[in-house]
Amino acid sequence: MAYVATRGGERAIEQSERLYRAQMGQIDAARVAEIEKALPALVDRVMGEASLYAPDLAALALAQSGGDLYEALLLLRAWRTTQPRLQIAEVVAPDAGFTHRRISAAFKDIPGGQILGPTLDYAHRLLATEVLEDQPYAPPAVEPAAKPAPATHPSLAEWQRAQGLVTTPEAAPVPRDEIPDLTREPLLFPAKRAHTLQSLARADTGGTLALGYSAMRGYGNSHPTVNELRLSEVEVMVAHPDGRRFSAGRVKTSQAEVVTTKGKGELRLGFTATLGWNEVKCISAATLDLNAPGAEKNSPVEEEFFLYHTEPVESSGFCIHFKLPHYVTFQSSLDNLRAAKTAKAEQAQPTDKKEETA
Amino acid sequence: MSLSDLTGRWKAFSYGFLDPSAKRELRRKMIKAVSVPGCQMPYASREVPIARGWGTGGLQVTLTLVKPSSTVKVIDQGADDSVNAASIRRFLSRVSGASETWDTLDATLIQSRHRIPEEKLSRDQILILQVPNPEPLRGVEPNMSTARQMHADADYGRMWLQLYEQMVRSGRVMLGASYPAMVNGRHVMTPSPIPRWDVKKLHMAEHLTILSAGREKRIFAVPPYTRVEPLVFDDVPYKVEDHAHLTCARSGVTGYFMNEIPQEDGSAGYEVSDSHFGIKAIDARDGGTPTVGQTWYRNGELA
Repeated sequence: MAYVATRGGERAIEQSERLYRAQMGQIDAARVAEIEKALPALVDRVMGEASLYAPDLAALALAQSGGDLYEALLLLRAWRTTQPRLQIAEVVAPDAGFTHRRISAAFKDIPGGQILGPTLDYAHRLLATEVLEDQPYAPPAVEPAAKPAPATHPSLAEWQRAQGLVTTPEAAPVPRDEIPDLTREPLLFPAKRAHTLQSLARADTGGTLALGYSAMRGYGNSHPTVNELRLSEVEVMVAHPDGRRFSAGRVKTSQAEVVTTKGKGELRLGFTATLGWNEVKCISAATLDLNAPGAEKNSPVEEEFFLYHTEPVESSGFCIHFKLPHYVTFQSSLDNLRAAKTAKAEQAQPTDKKEETA
Repeated sequence: MSLSDLTGRWKAFSYGFLDPSAKRELRRKMIKAVSVPGCQMPYASREVPIARGWGTGGLQVTLTLVKPSSTVKVIDQGADDSVNAASIRRFLSRVSGASETWDTLDATLIQSRHRIPEEKLSRDQILILQVPNPEPLRGVEPNMSTARQMHADADYGRMWLQLYEQMVRSGRVMLGASYPAMVNGRHVMTPSPIPRWDVKKLHMAEHLTILSAGREKRIFAVPPYTRVEPLVFDDVPYKVEDHAHLTCARSGVTGYFMNEIPQEDGSAGYEVSDSHFGIKAIDARDGGTPTVGQTWYRNGELA
């Protein structure tokens, strides 16, 4: 053991970590609270990809990783996986929950109305440089509508079903306590529907966008129309050991349902829901879901292809693993290269040998 | 009844980091893997506090097997002091209370990336190999579902074709590390990216080897005294790296797997890849009396 203290990388790795953390300085509760308050979109994105609804922990992970999203995710996922699974909450229907924003691109108006809610969609993207010159930007106060929007909105797909435009796939007869859990079971193909939706819910925003966008541009088989995009808050209903139902709290969720008219005489739907409000991810992932049935093998819209390649912790980890030394494998291949080269050189010799023997 | 009756006393982390449900799954999958040698068993593969691709599969197995009385050795490319090996070893002892060692002979658990130590392992030792890609068919079939079906059918024709094509194009089999091997006459497995030098150490070995791919969520095993036969044609012998005649510039040993070190004068120097084996040789040369175990290779030949 004498060598352990004196040789090798242990000091180096400790010091390199210190160098990185020195950039961020001291992390305290105030910084974490400020991140949680100031960066809700980022906190939401991280919570969705971590599949852990805990804004304070997500903000802490962002503070601790200095904003490296993949590092923050890994911190949260590694923490999440050690936690016991105490309860399985009640199923939430897409139209349940307090709806903040619900829009449809498929119709001019829909039952319940188009509710814009909070969005930057129509903002002019002008950088507020005056803030840097000591003129703080305070957003103007919101003026409430004369008639408040209803708290809940019906699902548009329900109306389409009533019209005979879509067929509801038959629900798998799975008891609530036995819903397959991707975090406790491997993903195998053809994937269980629950695994597909869970996998998309925790998929990498950038990854789903890249593959979803490729499908939107024409590498898929259907073009999406946003049937319904919804941001809401839903109650997490659980059972107390004495049998009473109670709400353990509200979580922000986003869902996108995209639709295509390319079907056998009816509309086909693609769907994704995730924790937190993240519209780009839900629309992209729903587009992948829409394109998956009958997709060509090894194409970006094949389920196996996009679910494997949008897993943020796996893909980012594998990418950075190439920084690890690979000199043993390299040596092994070098040995082949040299031997093949020598053999080739020897093969080129025989003409001389023939002359010698002649 | 209250919630506190239903749960244990709160602790920040479980013993050995993984929670009991994760360990139970791993134990079950390891037993399955041992029962069907070389066959890949899917498992949930929890996130652990190191990045995917950095030994998370090996780490989950070691965390499940480790106990306070264990002695753990971790190597990367044959070296105990490689930064990632040092980091994993430190994490293991921190969460389990197990002892750390660099000496192959003292270790009860050896977690390794890309090498099998040069000293023979015994029946009391378990070798845990980190696996980046568990699928030997990946090169000929990237789709995992199709590859799974091919294993079920023992359909390895495309692997053989790949070997044949390499012989036609390059005059020899060009597979470097991760040379595919038939296990127990039934399943073709990748031995992980160990050099060809090491693959033969697995054949009829006394020790248990568990191979685990965390990112790809697959676990497989080579139980003791199991046939591990590299895929070769009857008339084209298996070739290990041409290292038998090389001598380590630091320790003076000859006949083991070496690291090639480019020199400024344009030549190449060599040092033995199994770093602690090299340390023992240096110690012996300097008058020490280290305990050196029997080696798999003697005089550059598999004994």
